[in-house]
Amino acid sequence: MKNKEFTFWLFITPVLLSLTLVVILPVVMGLFYSFTNWNGLNFTSFVGFNHYKRLLGDGQFLRSLWFTVKFSIASIILLNVIGLSLALLVTSKLKSRNILRTVFFMPNLIGGLILGFIWQFIFIRVFASIGELIGVESLQVWLATPGTGFWGLVILTVWQMAGYIMIIYIAYLQGVPKELLESAEIDGATPFQKFRHVIFPLIAPAFTVTMFLTLSNSFKIYDQNLSLTGGGPYNSTQMVAMNIVDTAFSGNQMAYGQSKAIIFFLIVAVISLSQVYYNKKREVDL
Amino acid sequence: MLENHDSKVRMGALFTGACAVLLAACGNDSGAGPGGMGTESGGSDGDSETIQLNIMQGKVEFNEQFNELADQYMEENENVQIEITSVGGGTDYFTQLTTRFSSGDEPDIFSVAGPNEIEQFQDTMADMSDTEAAEAALEGTIENVTHDDGRIDAIPYNLEGYGFIYNKEVLEQAGVNPEELSTYEELQEAVETIDSQKEDLGIEAVFALPGAESWVMGDHLANVYLSPELNENPVDAYNAESLAFERADEFKNMLDLQAEYSIEPVLSLDYSQQVEEYFSLGQVAMIQQGNWIYPTLEQMDPEFAESNVGMIPIPLEGYEDQLPVGVPNYWAVNSNNDDATVQAAKDFLDWMYLSDEGKEFVVSEFNFVPAYEGYEDMEISDPLSQTVYDYSQNGETLGWVFTGFPTGYQLNEFGPNLQAYLGGNMSWEEAIEASKQAWESMRQ
Repeated sequence: MKNKEFTFWLFITPVLLSLTLVVILPVVMGLFYSFTNWNGLNFTSFVGFNHYKRLLGDGQFLRSLWFTVKFSIASIILLNVIGLSLALLVTSKLKSRNILRTVFFMPNLIGGLILGFIWQFIFIRVFASIGELIGVESLQVWLATPGTGFWGLVILTVWQMAGYIMIIYIAYLQGVPKELLESAEIDGATPFQKFRHVIFPLIAPAFTVTMFLTLSNSFKIYDQNLSLTGGGPYNSTQMVAMNIVDTAFSGNQMAYGQSKAIIFFLIVAVISLSQVYYNKKREVDL
Repeated sequence: MLENHDSKVRMGALFTGACAVLLAACGNDSGAGPGGMGTESGGSDGDSETIQLNIMQGKVEFNEQFNELADQYMEENENVQIEITSVGGGTDYFTQLTTRFSSGDEPDIFSVAGPNEIEQFQDTMADMSDTEAAEAALEGTIENVTHDDGRIDAIPYNLEGYGFIYNKEVLEQAGVNPEELSTYEELQEAVETIDSQKEDLGIEAVFALPGAESWVMGDHLANVYLSPELNENPVDAYNAESLAFERADEFKNMLDLQAEYSIEPVLSLDYSQQVEEYFSLGQVAMIQQGNWIYPTLEQMDPEFAESNVGMIPIPLEGYEDQLPVGVPNYWAVNSNNDDATVQAAKDFLDWMYLSDEGKEFVVSEFNFVPAYEGYEDMEISDPLSQTVYDYSQNGETLGWVFTGFPTGYQLNEFGPNLQAYLGGNMSWEEAIEASKQAWESMRQ
């Protein structure tokens, strides 16, 4: 027994140690600083809940939060629909399926900042040129209006992450037993019925995973936001992560930024965990 | 049994290894702290020991030339080792500077940009009043960083100025004389003249207003209209509890003029498009920018840069023909060091600005507009810098106040409000009112 305990702690200590150093300690310190007037170097007094009270009246923060929520809803839906469609496509009997898998996954290998700049070029220059050619004015103002900024970000994110979500769906699709599909076919099920009533329930665990990934990822996006729109025009496409960075670093209000980060952390944690909990309940076991 | 034991030993070794790595990492961290630095350089027989100078600065454009200068200094002074870190972009630099100070890895010489930054690092700045450079600084460049008791916090890098930079050839062909554009009405008339012959002149628009870069409007253009009410002094701006925006109407007219005759869409147009694509390729007649764009213009087209560009002030009633000129950055020396290191840092800065080799570098390699006396006979390398130097020599300048804006004011509040106005999302009155309120709440 004693021996077992020793090995247990032997294995767990490095993880615990690094987790404490890089996650738990910073969170606790951050929570502490959010109650002070910390400026990044030192603090002179405690301000209680003042920062949190101020948050409620901070128009730009609330707008950023709302923008992030809208963005997350749009990108979660599109990511899952497109990711699943791509997965179905490359698990079908297409000849080019292997190369397609690679192609779809590729954008995920490019860093967010670079992708942002590439798409900025596409939206501003390529779209404008096409718009000029075919005489469509709405193509010429991309990223210069809040609406196009929003959809620009969604398109970029979906393009980048859909391949990754596809891979997860592929894994689950391949785990669907052939016998079930065969017997459904023998019973005369149409391809759609097969998908809706056999495949769909069986890949439900995949939704738990992909929803969690897409949700937390969309909420926390920063680099794509920074390089594609920089929050512009007039901070209308500024997401929460960027709002926090701007407050803390360019506004030099470290403690206030920290309190925003704590609130943001709580929101993401609550949404992600409850989402996992409800999805888990819906899964079917074979 | 034996096997089991064996694997346990191996596990133990792994664990010990992991701990060692962790400990080593921690050890390194504390070793690089300020204490370590001080003891390294401040040995008992001071002078013969090597002095390490870590420089951190926020003007990335001249990093390469600055390193060359440091190499030359190290050759002449073998007991000094200089290590330079340059970080670009105003906010990124300040973030990293704060990070380095809070992690204990403090630089010995660092740059600061305005009253906000100076106040935050006040306690760590050595008094510079005993340096020769402080004595030689041009009038108006050092008063902002001098205390009543004569203490000087920092010394200026250089001077920079901005205005409307124009394409000589285009203006000439359109029959517009840039020398005569000293009031808003004259400028407006000229803009209309140029606009009416756009096709003959081969340009796409008169201006390129980079709406995506809020600093062009919120810092530079606004400065022209806020400078008079803030006494042309960034410290006054820093201490102002509120803004009156007395000249909001003039500001609106100028912004409207630029936006109306600009390349569209304004709000996604950025700095590099404005300078590289539209101006240096002759697609627009004029842009609102400063002498810092010269190296970019030169890279794009040396001939064009050398002979085809000029700069005029932004017209302002009562302040005609005054170019907005200011000190973008200051050098500060870290006072948390021993005396020998502080002195070595000051010696290096003196040498850079006042020795013959240093001056040569400052003018022809850094392309700086010098903020010091003793450069009268030297030739300034480019026409835009020459214009800035001429205006400051003649005292025809308008002070920069935007360096004294509340931290983040332009980026998070003022700039976005102006963008919202341009985007039709706010009326001018709303934008100005919101900007006034933001100023007051940030000053509380």
